[in-house]
Amino acid sequence: MSSESSRRTFLKRAGVLALAVPGVAATLDACAAVATSAKASTIRVGWAIEPDTMNPLTTYSTEAVEVLQLVYDNLIHYSLKLEPEPGLATSWEYSADGKTITYKLRQATWHDGKPFTAADAVFTFNLIRSKQISQYAQWVADLSSAQAPDDRTLVLEFSAPQAFNPGLAVPILPQHIWQGMSASDIQKDANSQPIGTGPYKFVNWKHGQSIEIARNDGWWGTKPAAEKITWILFQNEDVMGQSLRTGAVDICPEIPPTIWDGLEGATKVKTVSMESFSFHHIGINVSDNAQSGGNPLLKDLTVRQALSYAVDRQQLVNVALAGHGEPGSVILPVGFGDWHLDIPQDKQLDANPAKAEELLEAAGYKYQGSATVRTAPNGKPLSFRLIAIETTSVDVAAAQIFRDACAKVGIELTLTTLDANTLGATVYNAKAPNWDIFVWGWDSGVYDPDYLLGVPLCSQIGSNNDVYYCNREYDQLYNEQSVEIDRAKRLALVHEAEQFYYDAASYIIMWYQDKLQGYRTDTWKGWTPIRGGMILNFTRDNYLKVQPV
Amino acid sequence: MSRLRYIAGKCVWLVVTLYCVVTFNFVLFHVLPGNPVRLLARSGHLTPQAVADITRVYGLNHSLPDQYVIYLGNLLHGDLGISYTYREPVSQLLGQYLGNTILLLFAATILTIAGGTLFGVIAANRRGGGYDSATVTASVIGWSLPTFWTGLILAFVLGVWLHAFPIFGMETPNAIYTSQFQRIEDIASHLFLPTLTLVIVNIAQFVLVARASVIEVLAEDFMLTATAKGLLPRRVLWRHAVRNALLPIVTSSALLIALVVGGAIEVETVFSWPGMGLLVYNAVLNRDYPVIEAAFLVFAIVVLIVNFASDLLYQALDPRVRES
Repeated sequence: MSSESSRRTFLKRAGVLALAVPGVAATLDACAAVATSAKASTIRVGWAIEPDTMNPLTTYSTEAVEVLQLVYDNLIHYSLKLEPEPGLATSWEYSADGKTITYKLRQATWHDGKPFTAADAVFTFNLIRSKQISQYAQWVADLSSAQAPDDRTLVLEFSAPQAFNPGLAVPILPQHIWQGMSASDIQKDANSQPIGTGPYKFVNWKHGQSIEIARNDGWWGTKPAAEKITWILFQNEDVMGQSLRTGAVDICPEIPPTIWDGLEGATKVKTVSMESFSFHHIGINVSDNAQSGGNPLLKDLTVRQALSYAVDRQQLVNVALAGHGEPGSVILPVGFGDWHLDIPQDKQLDANPAKAEELLEAAGYKYQGSATVRTAPNGKPLSFRLIAIETTSVDVAAAQIFRDACAKVGIELTLTTLDANTLGATVYNAKAPNWDIFVWGWDSGVYDPDYLLGVPLCSQIGSNNDVYYCNREYDQLYNEQSVEIDRAKRLALVHEAEQFYYDAASYIIMWYQDKLQGYRTDTWKGWTPIRGGMILNFTRDNYLKVQPV
Repeated sequence: MSRLRYIAGKCVWLVVTLYCVVTFNFVLFHVLPGNPVRLLARSGHLTPQAVADITRVYGLNHSLPDQYVIYLGNLLHGDLGISYTYREPVSQLLGQYLGNTILLLFAATILTIAGGTLFGVIAANRRGGGYDSATVTASVIGWSLPTFWTGLILAFVLGVWLHAFPIFGMETPNAIYTSQFQRIEDIASHLFLPTLTLVIVNIAQFVLVARASVIEVLAEDFMLTATAKGLLPRRVLWRHAVRNALLPIVTSSALLIALVVGGAIEVETVFSWPGMGLLVYNAVLNRDYPVIEAAFLVFAIVVLIVNFASDLLYQALDPRVRES
């Protein structure tokens, strides 16, 4: 009896609690609604990767550059057509030999009220060159002098013609803040309150949460509509996608394929798929280093061609990438427009296992007895190690498909997954690279062929060159294109370099993945889809041009 | 006197353990494959001079034993170093993230321990009845729920469908508060779902431990004596049975607190809570040695202090521990 009554009291209590919870929830919700500022004044961006630092000279993250490009102005910026448009420089011209660039600068004011002059630009270029600091150092390697004949003119002189205008990449820093710092001071500086001349002033960065910038009403350009821009960090991409659905964010620049598919057709959400400047590839160790632990059989071009023929790029895209990309071929992704060399399908080393077997047979890689793995003429089996990053699920899926495809032509691959840092340390152990084949990808740091074409250079061994490819003829082609300022001539050289590296087959480029983004249609309008993405791209103009609905 | 000696002895062990933890952490993370500078170099063309500069700033140009001595020296001066990733003093970073984690876990831990014990004691008192079996069943279900999944389900049901609670972060981004009270309300609404998730998945062990341990005590002879003395049943239960049953609960609480300071990483991930779990996860991926070492030092200190405190609590609760 007593237990009976007490159970009832318990149930009654539980009932009260159940009623109370939604009540509390509604109250809290109302409070949260009061606390939110008016939507149309702020662009809220949801992303899943946090920047590293707000110091433009020490950052290596795309996300940091995304924020800083709105705080600092470059001399030249990219338009929504990815063409150069004036930044701090109103105009610029090359000398006849292509070695000198003269920039005419505009009046502008730093966020702390001090005037901007040509001396600041001179200081920035000299700082980067003399300290050999930052990812921008590559653009001033040939710089022989930076001068300011007057307050509104900057003259950069180079020892060789410059196909890429460094004004497009380098953010201009205020001399009065950065002068007197040693290289080590700069390395240690978090630059937690960046001062630039850009359209937005830095407000704050709550680590692990959000970054906020506010409109600079004294900016030289057309005043942007958004008073504030906030980037909100999500640790979970599902929740990020749901937040776009509920309207808690206005735009997401990087949405994983399956979540993007789920958002298609959601009310007041527009999903957009665009070409990117990225690719994922299978890299084959072709190091000439005597200390290399790579399997020497991979230095045989026939084996590499067979590996390339064995796997079907379209299948990789369909299965690993859920269809959100294009099959890969040359080192410059399709996002680069005409810089990308279109190789006819029948000339590609792709999806032809019969051809792979034919090549291997002809070169003497035969099955011995009932073996399922071919043996080289020297008696060694065609058996290699394959490594991939465990957290990059598309790479792991691709590696499995690749492994199974190779098994069908008699090449055995043993797949191991590692964390990103361990894989990087293994691949880039330039003194003794002890690995055979890996899977990962590249993202172009600039909108110019130079960056990706530069990866396989001999001089990049110990730096970006991940497969230790080294060929003087390729280096020569690269050098010729990098000093060619006639676009048509340069285009021909770039295409030649792409074909040359494709034929070497030390990179099996699997795909050029699409940039999958999505935005709310009820808060901001006028997002322009472009190659590389509406935001998180080389242009900042979408942030500056969107209008409230 | 003997009590003082006992505490002094414990303190010496505390220091020795800390030293071992510090050394172990240092060695463990430095022998991990991977290199913090290498990861940066992949993101852009890095000149050899820049690599050398960064290596020097990180202090990685010294030999490992030298790095160890420098690290110990700095630690004794209270200097935890500079984060490789954020280029900010580690103590500053740690302060922010630890504060957020404590905020998240304070309410969850209290609710879990107090609520779990309460439900467990009631179940034990009515063992065999309907309430008891309902509680035990609910606990077993709660215990088997994966944290990550529970969090996502709560987020989708209460956050996305019912729009009742915010599902990410600690505060509404860009919120403009008219008063400090409004800000507290905002944070409280963000706290609700992660706290609920933590309570649901953790409360079961307290319910079951408290229930089992009270049932065991209730069968003791002195319970019969207490009842025979004519004490009120409520007094018999709470003063005599529960007090004697508290030891396993204290042990579980110490374990729970030690566990949760590490950042309830799954809950933090689901609800994008900027706590220790996030900090440590990123630091390990980026090989941010100073941050990892400092974070594990904090974890070690918390575990040691909590254990120390539970030792003292044992003494207060149980005369047998005091005498031995």
